[in-house]
Amino acid sequence: MSVFWHSALRRPKFGRDQQELALLYLACLAFSLLLAMLLIHLSGSSWTRAVNALVDGAFQNPGRWGETLRRTAPLLVVATGSVVATRAGIINIGQEGQLLIGAMGGAFILTLVQPGSPLMLLLGLAVGGTAGAAWAGIAGALWYWRRVPIVLSTLLLVYLSSQIAAYTLTRGELLLNVVPGEPNRLLLSAKVAPESRLGIVQIFGNRFPLSVPVALATALVFGWVLARTTWGFRLKALGLNPRTAQRAGIPGVRYGMSAILVSGATAGLAGSMMLAGGESQYKFSSGFASNVGWDGLLVALVARNSPLVAIPVALVFAALRSGSTFLSVAGIEAVLVDVVRGLLVVALFIPPAISELRRKRRAAAQLTERT
Amino acid sequence: MQFSKAGNFGEGAQAPSPIVSLKSITKTYGALKACDDVSMVLHPGRIHGILGQNGAGKSTLMKILIGLVGPDSGEIRVGGDPVRVSSPQHAADLGIGMVHQHFSLVDALTVWENVVLGDRSARLDSRRARELVSMIGDRYGLDIDPDANVGQLTAGQRQRVEIIKCLRRSPRVLIFDEPTSVLTMEESKQLFAVLRQVVRNEGATVALVSHRLGEVLESADDVVIMRDGRVIAEMPTSGTTPDELAQAMVGRKVRLRSSDAHHMRRSTRTNHVEVVLRMSDVSVASRRGGVDLDGLSLTVRAGEIVGVAGAEGNGQRVLVDVLSSLRGVTSGTIEVAGTVVETGRAGAMAAAGVGVVPEDRHDSGCVLDMTVAENLVLTSIDQMSSRGALNFSAIRESAQQMIQQFGISCPSPDVPMWTLSGGNQQRVVLARELSTKPKLLVAAQPTRGLDVSAIEYMGNRLREAANDGVGVLLISSELDEILHLSDRIVVIYKGAIIGETPNDAVDMARLGLLIGGVA
Amino acid sequence: MNNFIFDVLTDGPLYESTFRLAAILAFAAAGEWVAERAGTINISIEAMLLGGHFGAAIAFTASQNFGVAIVVGGLAGMAIAALQAWLSHFLTADQFGIGLTLNILLLGLAAFLQPSFDLNTRLAGVLSIPLLSQIPLVGPALFGQRWPMYLIYGLVPLSWWLVARTNWGLEVRAVGEDPQSADVSGIHVNARRRQAILYAGLLSGIGGAVYLFGQVGRFESSNIGGKGIIAIAAVIFGGWTLRGAVAGCLLFGYVDALRLNLPTILGYSLNSQLLASLPFLATVIVMMLFAKLTRQPVALARPFVRGLK
Repeated sequence: MSVFWHSALRRPKFGRDQQELALLYLACLAFSLLLAMLLIHLSGSSWTRAVNALVDGAFQNPGRWGETLRRTAPLLVVATGSVVATRAGIINIGQEGQLLIGAMGGAFILTLVQPGSPLMLLLGLAVGGTAGAAWAGIAGALWYWRRVPIVLSTLLLVYLSSQIAAYTLTRGELLLNVVPGEPNRLLLSAKVAPESRLGIVQIFGNRFPLSVPVALATALVFGWVLARTTWGFRLKALGLNPRTAQRAGIPGVRYGMSAILVSGATAGLAGSMMLAGGESQYKFSSGFASNVGWDGLLVALVARNSPLVAIPVALVFAALRSGSTFLSVAGIEAVLVDVVRGLLVVALFIPPAISELRRKRRAAAQLTERT
Repeated sequence: MQFSKAGNFGEGAQAPSPIVSLKSITKTYGALKACDDVSMVLHPGRIHGILGQNGAGKSTLMKILIGLVGPDSGEIRVGGDPVRVSSPQHAADLGIGMVHQHFSLVDALTVWENVVLGDRSARLDSRRARELVSMIGDRYGLDIDPDANVGQLTAGQRQRVEIIKCLRRSPRVLIFDEPTSVLTMEESKQLFAVLRQVVRNEGATVALVSHRLGEVLESADDVVIMRDGRVIAEMPTSGTTPDELAQAMVGRKVRLRSSDAHHMRRSTRTNHVEVVLRMSDVSVASRRGGVDLDGLSLTVRAGEIVGVAGAEGNGQRVLVDVLSSLRGVTSGTIEVAGTVVETGRAGAMAAAGVGVVPEDRHDSGCVLDMTVAENLVLTSIDQMSSRGALNFSAIRESAQQMIQQFGISCPSPDVPMWTLSGGNQQRVVLARELSTKPKLLVAAQPTRGLDVSAIEYMGNRLREAANDGVGVLLISSELDEILHLSDRIVVIYKGAIIGETPNDAVDMARLGLLIGGVA
Repeated sequence: MNNFIFDVLTDGPLYESTFRLAAILAFAAAGEWVAERAGTINISIEAMLLGGHFGAAIAFTASQNFGVAIVVGGLAGMAIAALQAWLSHFLTADQFGIGLTLNILLLGLAAFLQPSFDLNTRLAGVLSIPLLSQIPLVGPALFGQRWPMYLIYGLVPLSWWLVARTNWGLEVRAVGEDPQSADVSGIHVNARRRQAILYAGLLSGIGGAVYLFGQVGRFESSNIGGKGIIAIAAVIFGGWTLRGAVAGCLLFGYVDALRLNLPTILGYSLNSQLLASLPFLATVIVMMLFAKLTRQPVALARPFVRGLK
């Protein structure tokens, strides 16, 4: 078990290298926060009010913890899937689309089957995961069959997915909720059948859906799978050196495809869990994904591709999101969090990149020693 | 076209070459002293041979001279003035040029584009560049088409481009790093003729870095012998014998053709019964049109070492790739221990009992970012797990065993692979492949880049494996290695095996012809 | 059916729309082409376009001068390119991760800052080239546009000349094909890569500015919406030749033009989501058909550190 934690947390020793790294992280974080403060100031608001609003919205006010936790779940699930893909050396950046398609697929079961039931909930989640996997699978197929770069196809599929979702919301026979007698100004689906909704957990006045423990379990399970199974081992070899992996008998197509499908399935599951867990009042809309897919990717990037580290990182990102709903009350654009997020991520790219550069330089010096 | 500060190209009388002197050059990489207080003087109008095994320090020394690496201490003087060579560009300005072992040419560009690559001028004058290539080519007998695409050229032609690229800067000091490793014997002779002309007619200085006794004796005027980073001896080549040089190189009495090896080979000949590899008329189509392997037929028996000799670039890489299931064949069959194996399917060859120690271990032999233990169990991971879950204690145990058995030097099995030295990395790869008890072991350039003791170790290990009944296919462009280890020698040329000879009475002339393509 | 084909081929406005989008794509594609020849892939082209778009809007609001605004747009694109270049090819941050993050960051930044600036922009004047713009069908499309659009006619040949006819371009190509050999030949590999990315940023930034003054007239953060990605697809579709990339831009421009003009040609409205999907669908299909045949720079997307292959 200790090996599991070790490999997941990357052996935190506190030598000089690690100290340097920690200092770099602090410096970059501080710098990005300063930039954020500057931006807030430029836009004419006070940064103290911004911080207060964020903290209130994320934790302080009663019940807000629950909101933060609720938002953590899909971020964590998407991030976990992204870690799996990256482990195999696959660059899947289309989770936003896969999440949307997953939510859409789930919506067909969850909103249309009335009355619902726990069985329908499970079915809805399964359909969501499968739909997300299939959407990602298209990109995988295009690569292995026709050499279309996955990074491009997944991106293009994101744009396509929003059109498809929008389409299903224009047709009453699909997802559009037609209320007789009322003009359809808002393109929304029906609400998820009450019996098909995810159960709510209530602790100390905070309410959050069961998607939270499910997400936690997903992260832990995949953390274990990646570190302790042959599948995870082979995936790692494939991602680090595909040629050696193939010499060692690891079929690149099969393992790569499985990684892509897993990353799509997690995104799709995240989307359908969002719907069943109460996102946008249990109604599916074309903007349903609301950048959760993109954020999940960023979580994975910041977490240096470890599912365990993704847990606290997802929490921080979720806190920003739930905090942002309070910003408009303080007279600040909610989009601010998008900027802060972006700045944070860029800043957090720097420290590991610097230490990676140093490590590579040392390795190169070693490798050329005997020629 | 730039005229280098060192001389005007194409003019008649030229300034005398400077004397290049290196004094007390030391360079340390971690715990290893690549160069240890090295001193030598290069005189104009002479071809100096710098002889030593892999790891003797000669390549590092040249890298220092050419500005790719900086020395820890010591002094370099060019024409009496102390200099610090800061970059290849600076070296060129000083009049020092190098023709690299693994060419520094960009395949996708044409000959003339490669020749002017790295030039400081802003505009690209293709006409003058073409003229330059033709002029230098004519002057030195280096025939090449300026508009040819470098990727389509043979190794010999590429070397010509490399030489033209070097000569363009009118260097007064020319360094050749292992120039004949990719050439046939005929091409080598042509090269030495060019060298002699450069030296006699231009009064330039040539330093020929090599580990091949024969060619140094033939082409150089005097030889400096390096071992373990130090200069061991210097002598003119006219009075020396190969055995003397060999002894100085290796540090003990060596017979070039070890009689022990002979003895071992003879005694195992009676075990040659089962055919472990039979390749019948195998062809592999090239991605660029044409063929990489052209009706190649080959047999290897259990317990024998078959050496595949031939200059690099004649299909060896593709042969190894096919035997590692990295590429499929377009026609012909491959049988391992009597069963036909499907080519191109990952793991098929390994499952059939083929182990491969590939030529470039970093590229496809090991995963540098994984630990030593992970690399050791890479192919046998299924045995180290139960129902999909990894059994870490089994992995550790197995790794420890292999580390001990193969003498792999590492602080623990959990260190990353990239921290190991080249020799130890090669041991890991060998350990991994041998631990699967293969029927056939393919070893491609197994001692490239290794030091003397590592080379010896690899050779012994291969011999041991053969004695244990494994069929060994040794692919190497080092003729000495082939001669030292093989029971039977085949020659590969342009993707096919064109000749074969047992290794007890080798007709070197015939072998040379075969390697050059004359069957 | 014949009638339909005839209508589609002879519809003047269709060609005008085609050229309008194709030109914007071409700014980004020409720039990214140079960057990809150097061996880098920059999905942050999207952010560079947006940066130029936004920067030009702000600059015009302040100066009411088109020239100044276009230059500022170019510089804004370069600033973003500088981030991508420095983080990925000086430090070793993953170029895809950085590209993605920059796109998200820019989008958020633009949306956040927009209300703070009371943006006041307008379209530039139409400059019809006499005689040439009279050519039937394609005349107005190619020579009857607003004047900033004509910048593309200079920048595409400039890009070609830089890569094919200068020493810098030769080194860029070497760096993209075989950085190890280029390094040994004395070329600063990562410096060339960074410069190529900066060039891409300059062109994309200008493209974003031209988009503002030559087509939309008003800044919205959603205006760029995927054009950067399509530009990258155009480079790949074109087999990493500039001609091919331009052809790709024309193709994708045509498909998007169909989206805008098909209803008027046909006389009835097609499904709006289907139409909006057309450019992206077309890109995916085109890539599917052609990606296999293309020849990419060998070192594409492989970061360079001396001594390691």
